[in-house]
Amino acid sequence: MKGDIKKIREGYYEKADLTETLSGIPIKEIYRPEDINNIEYHRDIGDPGQYPYTRGIYPNMFRGRFWTRREVCGFGTPADTNKRLLQQIEMGVTGLNVIVDMPTRFGVDVEHPLAKGEVGATGVPLTSLRDMEVLTKGIPIKDVSFSLISSSCVAPIVLSQYIIVAKRAGIDISGLRGTIQSDTLSTRFCGMGDATPPDLALKITGDIIEFCSRYMPLWYPINVNMYDLRETGISAPQELGFGFANAIAYIEEVLGRGLNIDDFAPRFAFYCSSHIDFFEEIAKLRAARRMWAKILKDRFKAKNPKSWKFRFGIHTAGCSLVAKQPINNIIRVTIEALAAVLAGVQSLHCCSYDEPIALPNETTQKIAIRTQQIIAYETGAAATADPLGGSYYIETLTNKIEEEAWKILKKIDDMGGAIEAIKNKWIEKEIEKEALRYQRSIENGKRIVVGVNAFVEEEEEKELEIRPHKYSFEAERRHINNVKRLKQERDKERLERAIENLRKEALKGRNHNLIPAIIDAVEAYATTDEIIGTIRECFGYSYDPFNINKSPF
Amino acid sequence: MNTEKRIRILLAKVGLDGHDRGLKIISVLLRDEGFEVINLGPFQTAETIINVVEQEDVDVIGLSIHGEEYRIYVPRIIELMKEKGLNDRGFILGGVLPPEDIPELKRIGVDEIFISGTPIKEIKRKIIELVKEKGR
Repeated sequence: MKGDIKKIREGYYEKADLTETLSGIPIKEIYRPEDINNIEYHRDIGDPGQYPYTRGIYPNMFRGRFWTRREVCGFGTPADTNKRLLQQIEMGVTGLNVIVDMPTRFGVDVEHPLAKGEVGATGVPLTSLRDMEVLTKGIPIKDVSFSLISSSCVAPIVLSQYIIVAKRAGIDISGLRGTIQSDTLSTRFCGMGDATPPDLALKITGDIIEFCSRYMPLWYPINVNMYDLRETGISAPQELGFGFANAIAYIEEVLGRGLNIDDFAPRFAFYCSSHIDFFEEIAKLRAARRMWAKILKDRFKAKNPKSWKFRFGIHTAGCSLVAKQPINNIIRVTIEALAAVLAGVQSLHCCSYDEPIALPNETTQKIAIRTQQIIAYETGAAATADPLGGSYYIETLTNKIEEEAWKILKKIDDMGGAIEAIKNKWIEKEIEKEALRYQRSIENGKRIVVGVNAFVEEEEEKELEIRPHKYSFEAERRHINNVKRLKQERDKERLERAIENLRKEALKGRNHNLIPAIIDAVEAYATTDEIIGTIRECFGYSYDPFNINKSPF
Repeated sequence: MNTEKRIRILLAKVGLDGHDRGLKIISVLLRDEGFEVINLGPFQTAETIINVVEQEDVDVIGLSIHGEEYRIYVPRIIELMKEKGLNDRGFILGGVLPPEDIPELKRIGVDEIFISGTPIKEIKRKIIELVKEKGR
């Protein structure tokens, strides 16, 4: 009891001693009008829907349309994932978001030695067209916005599978809505280095953007993946600096093929993180809008205002969630999601609270969807555009993050662009430095994480109230058998013709668009690994990124 | 620890999962704590790991886990350790793991499991105890 009294007395007088943002930007005790007296409203902020879009890209924001509510999903067989997608629709999502598994993402065979235990583990296997057929069964793809997360060199193959499914259902692909997450460069920082050589990665993303800008005007052919970058441990300004450097590399690639900036920039989209520092994240997203508008207007001379608009989806920060006292993660996700909404998000994924333990199960994913619905319908957060605009603190922080992000971008430009900064490992080193700074601040107690380095419960590792998602060896076996059966049943001559054609096309040079040849190979039921392996060989890389399997052709 | 032989830890990730933030950070933090760390990086197999354990006279093997890969690789590593007479080495896991799987993993031969959020000082203490227990 004596100890408790001391504790309560100390607690009563305890001060807030966090004096810097999550990214290390110092915070003053108070912000006043003079902190923002260098701001000119119309030049620097503007009304929502007006350049430079600091306050949002639409004049009436959510009064015009809510953000799209989607939850990332992918596990087991395509049939398992399809079932969960149909459940999600039932629960009230307004868009779908599917992630592929690691063997698909790397473009390796389902029986590859390194693929053991990975088929259907952290995503859905999309090995062939058949899998996409099963995945989309019963889903009205003509009307639903479908986001496909594959962001590696296999992105065009996954997109082609989707295109064929639509065509076979008699749907005009020019009306398809959705996103292919084709930011191939970002995956380098998520441990996929050898599978995404920078020159091939750029070529592939360029092909997708070029193809979609011609034939799929409502589709987002690129979703610059700032989220995965942020998850590696970087700061908010770095998220913008590194992300925009990649975006600029793609723009230059496509411009190099003779397209005009306004032909494709209106369909650029971004996938950002919303981390736990509430105000910093809102400021970051406002700064991102202003920066992107300037990059497009000043640097690339875009004329169409649609090219200037920074459209973004948000994934709440998985890395901010902890395994200790996991139910508290619901609160973390709520705060992050609210920041996203107040920052004017276009599409939102909320993490499920069991994510530091396993893939989300049905129950936890439902809570994530309900979180979005409570923010949308109950809180009033969506009623007015940019409700925090004009706040002395928010505007100061927006300026500060923009300033820092420009510095990073300039450094990368001076090196010769994103590809150079990747090749000379500068980005990689910066990531490691920042991730370490953050971790040390937790280890030394400078930054508090509830349940981790404060308010720790002695009796830890308590049973969750829910059963975590379990990997199914049975699903893996079923999928592998399905692939084996497919390989016996498909028309071998047709397949070989398609692969031969793909090879011929791929040898025609970097700027020759490969999507039609990929579509043809997918239609012949070539597998994801067979297609990307063939392309890799034509560009001088091993068929298998791990150089274990050889081409069967 | 300065006067004694430094404890040598091998850290790695197995299978295709490339989430290597934890692996990189824990390597640096353990070095800061005075351990000798060999970081093999991601995409390892049980065989590549055991080879290095033998060649480099490693005291403790540590796997960083983020997906389901441990279900395949952990039993295989334990099998190889038994086969090669490496029972005096420690075997630890860290990262994203369902708590309900922990008892079974310990039963088959994993010495310690650190779920995400475990402080480095606690990891250090348990590794030193473990190496002592193993008589290394």
